[in-house]
Amino acid sequence: MTEYYTRMGDGKRVTMTKQQIMDDLQAGTADAADMASVPSLDANELEHLAEIIMCQDRVVGVTPGNEVVLSYDIGQLDFTGDNGNSGNGVDMGRLEAALLHERALGADTFELAHSDYSIKPVKPVIAMEMQTMEEVQAEIVAPFFYGAMPNQGLYYAPDGPYGNPADLMREFKIEESMQQSELASAHVTRDIEYVATRLQAAGSDGFNFDTTGSAGDADCVGTLNGVKLLREQCPEAYIQVGFAGESIMGIHGMIEFDGQVVAGMYPHQYVHIAEKAGANVCGTVVNTNTSKSLAFNMARAVTFIKEAVKTSNIPIHADMGMGVGGIPMCETPPIDAVSRCSKAMVEVAGVDGI
Amino acid sequence: MDLPHFMASGMGGIRSAGDLVARMEFAKNMRAKDAKAYVAKKLGIDVLDIVDEYVMRDLREELGIGVVTGVPGAPRGIAAKMNIENLLDIKINSCEKFREKTQKR
Amino acid sequence: MAFESETKKLQDALISCKVPDIAKAVQEAHDAGMPAEDIINALGAAMSDVGVLFERGKLFLPHVLSAAAGMKNAMNTLDDELKTSAGTSQAKGVVVMGTVEGDVHDIGKSICSTMLQCAGFDVHDLGRDVPLKNFIEEVRGGCNFCGMSALMTTTMVGMKTVIESLKAEGLRDNVKVMVGGAPITQAYADKIGADIYGESASETTKKAQA
Repeated sequence: MTEYYTRMGDGKRVTMTKQQIMDDLQAGTADAADMASVPSLDANELEHLAEIIMCQDRVVGVTPGNEVVLSYDIGQLDFTGDNGNSGNGVDMGRLEAALLHERALGADTFELAHSDYSIKPVKPVIAMEMQTMEEVQAEIVAPFFYGAMPNQGLYYAPDGPYGNPADLMREFKIEESMQQSELASAHVTRDIEYVATRLQAAGSDGFNFDTTGSAGDADCVGTLNGVKLLREQCPEAYIQVGFAGESIMGIHGMIEFDGQVVAGMYPHQYVHIAEKAGANVCGTVVNTNTSKSLAFNMARAVTFIKEAVKTSNIPIHADMGMGVGGIPMCETPPIDAVSRCSKAMVEVAGVDGI
Repeated sequence: MDLPHFMASGMGGIRSAGDLVARMEFAKNMRAKDAKAYVAKKLGIDVLDIVDEYVMRDLREELGIGVVTGVPGAPRGIAAKMNIENLLDIKINSCEKFREKTQKR
Repeated sequence: MAFESETKKLQDALISCKVPDIAKAVQEAHDAGMPAEDIINALGAAMSDVGVLFERGKLFLPHVLSAAAGMKNAMNTLDDELKTSAGTSQAKGVVVMGTVEGDVHDIGKSICSTMLQCAGFDVHDLGRDVPLKNFIEEVRGGCNFCGMSALMTTTMVGMKTVIESLKAEGLRDNVKVMVGGAPITQAYADKIGADIYGESASETTKKAQA
């Protein structure tokens, strides 16, 4: 029986037969379909994914004409950062990093980022960020955003003024936990308005809200309320809302945006609240299970995101970094796996960008 | 992660017309297919050609919308983006801010 | 199966996450003569399902805590009877949990702590950015599970330091070390000599219970 080189979710190389690959593709799509109550992939789609995996070329790619937009997160940190954010550890200016991405790395958009990549610490240095935004905008041609994570975790003790909801829950202080989440959520909204409107005044093309909902549903609502304010005040801003996972974690459980409880929403549902808030593009995320194969993770990610693409009114950019979108969770994801997931997400899920 | 995605499925930014398609997705909420068709129409070329470096390298220079190679005297930055505004019939924030500042003088 | 109907009612009540319904089902099972230990075991099995439903976005944290509160009330109600049985009222283990030094990403760890607490473990959650020596102190103080979380590849190396320190101080055999967090994999857990790797909070809890 022919065995094909493929990967596990942690990046380790393994060999599998076509039957094993098909079994894992079936299991992956079934898992996503069950979780999100969406259709699983059909036989032709699974066969196409199997062909992508079984192709023994080192790198695969989409058919010419099917290319999609590559929008970028984390800004210059992919060069300057340490291994904590998969950075190369090469210190350089933010202007140089932006122009290198534009002129050497094929980036269709790029962004400016604070080294913490969170909105809260940008407030004290907003004038510096505005100045750098003006400087880069004078040189760059591609759409250039400001990017940051709403990161509501920074608003909870010991980093912020509000009680930690998860800790309060464990003490069975459910009401208090919810109240603290709501207060922190409102604070996130205020900070987004403060930071984002100033960067628009400095000429930013827009704002990329990365990892929305990382601290749960209240983080998500705080961000969407901030997006709404930004849209009202800057109607022309390019706004990308990227989420933190395949479902919005219910830490509060009942907090609503636009009359809808957001906890437990899946990509095909959260794209609609992103659109209502005023996003132009929604970044959908599916986390990789490191103990399962590339086939399982690829089929699972494609299943969630295909339904989001189908139901959305705005473009969908799938988050395809380390440990998401089917890509293995390792610091230097193997290019065979990355290119396979990239092709699968475009050709089967039909995303508008990555 | 940049290069594998660019090689596998990316449009290539200002190597081709990826930045222009991105602008239409963000400025007008256009899905990829519509954004590509819109850009191709404005450029007067086939959709397949908007990701063809052979076609786009010279076309970008002719239109003054920014190129990846250093061409002395060719529009870059705000100047290139002002040409993109005219080409795509959109407004770009940094150009608007530039105009606001220069018109105050 | 004895008390099949009562078991189903107990489990349905727990998964409904409504404290009064859980109390009612416990009372009815007790009145029907179901042994206290069996009642708690039935609720415990349903608690695992609640954890899985949380991870699949079908239930939210307040639901999980309501179910846990219902189970806690049941244990209090049945306390006398449980004490006379085979020590079921004892905690399943004492767990120190924390996000390792330098790392402030604690939401996954907090959920894992909650799941372990709901499953009957006595959890000492030290929070985030926990100095590595504090894990050692807790183990020296009697914790028999040591759970460490990290979200960053720069901080996860602290887990290895803790394991090495436990060995150096002769404490390694007293404790099961559990590791988790986005960059952690089974291979990494094996490499540093951890006992349990959890892909998710419910998987970690299941492995800790085994």
